Amino acid sequence: MKILKLNSVGKYFGDYKATNNVSFSVEKGTIFGLLGPNGAGKTTIIRQITNIYYPDEGEILLFDEPVSSKHQNQIGYLPEERGLYKKLKVIEQLVYFGELKGLSKKEAEKRARYWLVKLEANDWAEKKIQELSKGMQQKIQFITTILHEPEFLILDEPFSGFDPVNSEMLKNIILELKNQGKTIILSTHVMSQVEELCDEIVLINKGKIVLSGKVRDIKKSFGRNNLKLEFEGDDSFLNDLEQDKIIQRNNHSAEIKIYNESEAKQILNSIKESVFIYKFELAEPSLHEIFINTVGKSNLNEQEILEIQK
Amino acid sequence: MSTFKLTNKIKIVLKHEYLSKVKTKSFLIGTFVAPLAIVALFGVMIAATVIFKDTTERKLAIVDQTNYLGQKLVDTDTSKYYLTDKFENDLIKLTENAEIDGYVLLKKDILDSGEVPIYTQGGGGIGFVTLIERNLGRIVRKERLTRSGTPDEVIKLVDSGIEIKTQKVTKEGIKDDKTQVLAYVGYALGFVIYMLMFLYGNHIFRSVLEEKSNRIIEIIVSSAKPFDILLGKVLGIGLVGLTQVFAWIAIVVLLLTFAGQIAGAFIDIDPQALQAGMSAQEAQTQQVEKMLSGIPEISPWLGIGFVFYFLSGYFIYSCLFAAVASAVDNEQDAQQYMVPITIPIIIPIALIPMIMANPDSVPAVAASLFPFFSPILMIVRVASTQVPIWQILTSVVLLISTFFGIMWFTAKIYRIGILMTGKKPTIKDFYKWIKMS
Repeated sequence: MKILKLNSVGKYFGDYKATNNVSFSVEKGTIFGLLGPNGAGKTTIIRQITNIYYPDEGEILLFDEPVSSKHQNQIGYLPEERGLYKKLKVIEQLVYFGELKGLSKKEAEKRARYWLVKLEANDWAEKKIQELSKGMQQKIQFITTILHEPEFLILDEPFSGFDPVNSEMLKNIILELKNQGKTIILSTHVMSQVEELCDEIVLINKGKIVLSGKVRDIKKSFGRNNLKLEFEGDDSFLNDLEQDKIIQRNNHSAEIKIYNESEAKQILNSIKESVFIYKFELAEPSLHEIFINTVGKSNLNEQEILEIQK
Repeated sequence: MSTFKLTNKIKIVLKHEYLSKVKTKSFLIGTFVAPLAIVALFGVMIAATVIFKDTTERKLAIVDQTNYLGQKLVDTDTSKYYLTDKFENDLIKLTENAEIDGYVLLKKDILDSGEVPIYTQGGGGIGFVTLIERNLGRIVRKERLTRSGTPDEVIKLVDSGIEIKTQKVTKEGIKDDKTQVLAYVGYALGFVIYMLMFLYGNHIFRSVLEEKSNRIIEIIVSSAKPFDILLGKVLGIGLVGLTQVFAWIAIVVLLLTFAGQIAGAFIDIDPQALQAGMSAQEAQTQQVEKMLSGIPEISPWLGIGFVFYFLSGYFIYSCLFAAVASAVDNEQDAQQYMVPITIPIIIPIALIPMIMANPDSVPAVAASLFPFFSPILMIVRVASTQVPIWQILTSVVLLISTFFGIMWFTAKIYRIGILMTGKKPTIKDFYKWIKMS
């Protein structure tokens, strides 16, 4: 069952097309990655789904109905640029946002207490927001997003500001929500999180979809043409390769693009004498690379088109 | 704009804004300390009049060598003069020992010499001297005229002429005094509205800007319609203002009720009144009433008018402040747009003296009907003159329709502006936003 459907959605700011002919749909109970470089139009799409903006073209269906203000109580939205009232107490803050999402005062307070305990934040309930550290504030912000138990969540960079321990906790909560059948849109620049969490993605660039599909299928379609190396010793052999081929180069590891297996053999032969090899793996490209490649290519295409038009 | 009924979300925003403002220290101080300070000032003023009045309440003995002018002088004011047949030597001693306030010597040749020696411990002020001069002067003048054979009619004419004139002047004076007091009450009320509009306009401004610059707004607008947020905010903070105004009115009424008793404690009882068979308490009450009669009666309509003009002014200007706050990122950027908003609030303050001087003139009527000036100027006129009902109704209609117009305009700017960050909007942007939504 599709929870959310976007059909040829377009939004203009004057002459500027913030989103252009965007169509995708999100299956119930999945985590859906909404990806794209800065300024690609992700926030504009999210704001249209949350009924902050109205699309100029196309339609957005949520629970099979055109999005309207009555859906706002069913959406949990964690914006990328987030904020809380500095002078308000944590519990007051949570209750206010809970009430805004349609909860009664009593119910909002009950649930707020539950989540504060669960996220090990109960001691801060009576503290003002400005007294909290950034990480603590992020936790409170996350609670405001899920307090009203929405069926549909939009999390924009949910992990920013969290230390590894809290990131892990948040990841588990997100997976728990998924298991409960909630549908989640995850927008992030950290591709490893997308690989870990997302079932499906769309990649947006300059207001248009440039790539979409199941994460598995996308990776498969890009083929096993990456060589992942981990080694100890002289890394000067990397200097002899064509520099375009080196995707990543770190102190004791590298990721190299190859076209066929014999190319991989060639590299192995040339280095087996000079370095100690821990890992030699032919792998699928990472989403990171797919992201960079696809966005780069689509930018290039646009430039080519512009040049042809001249 | 179509839904002007209070939706649930409006109520929630309203409640939040109200409770979070009412609980602040600055609100409590402004509500309870400020009026107490004003009343304390009143108290000092009343105490001062009481103290100054005391010093003029002297009683002088009259030594009458003419054997007939003395009685006439005592008749002018029994509370100030009394006849005595003590000898001068004794009187000097009594004065010296402060057993009596002093004495006046009416010499036999007073009509010729015009000399009137007064013996006191010194001081007493100009008021005291002029009083005797006036009272005695008239008697002496009349006697001189009689002695020189002036016909009775002429004397009467001169005397009554003076009498009528004084009375008229006094009457006019009292009347004038009261309108003046009322005009100043109007000035004060207008000024309070002016300050409240700034104060609460500023509250709205900060509240909107806080949500915008702290990025809280993104969550709120994904939970409620921008118009509901705006309306809830304006109503909530308006209710805070109303609470403050009513608390002030209650405090002032309460304190004025007790002011009489407080003032009474300062007053010495007039022995003359006691002699007239009044109880000490009655005498005191009478005296306090006499004192408080300087404060004119304020009709409840003035109170109702005050609340209405405060609210309408607040609604109009708070919307404008909200529009500016929603469009900018920080206070510096706001300056440019604050000027055109604050000028129409300040102009009426400059016009008040003109309104007070001629509250019924055509320019005064016109200025007080202009919706942006109306909240301040109409209350000044209502206080200082009898404003025709059609003018009141016209101002009410104009204010309400202006409010709806401004609200419409603000809702459009707010809706777009609140999510725009990064650059200072131009007038052109405002125009675009209004057209857009």
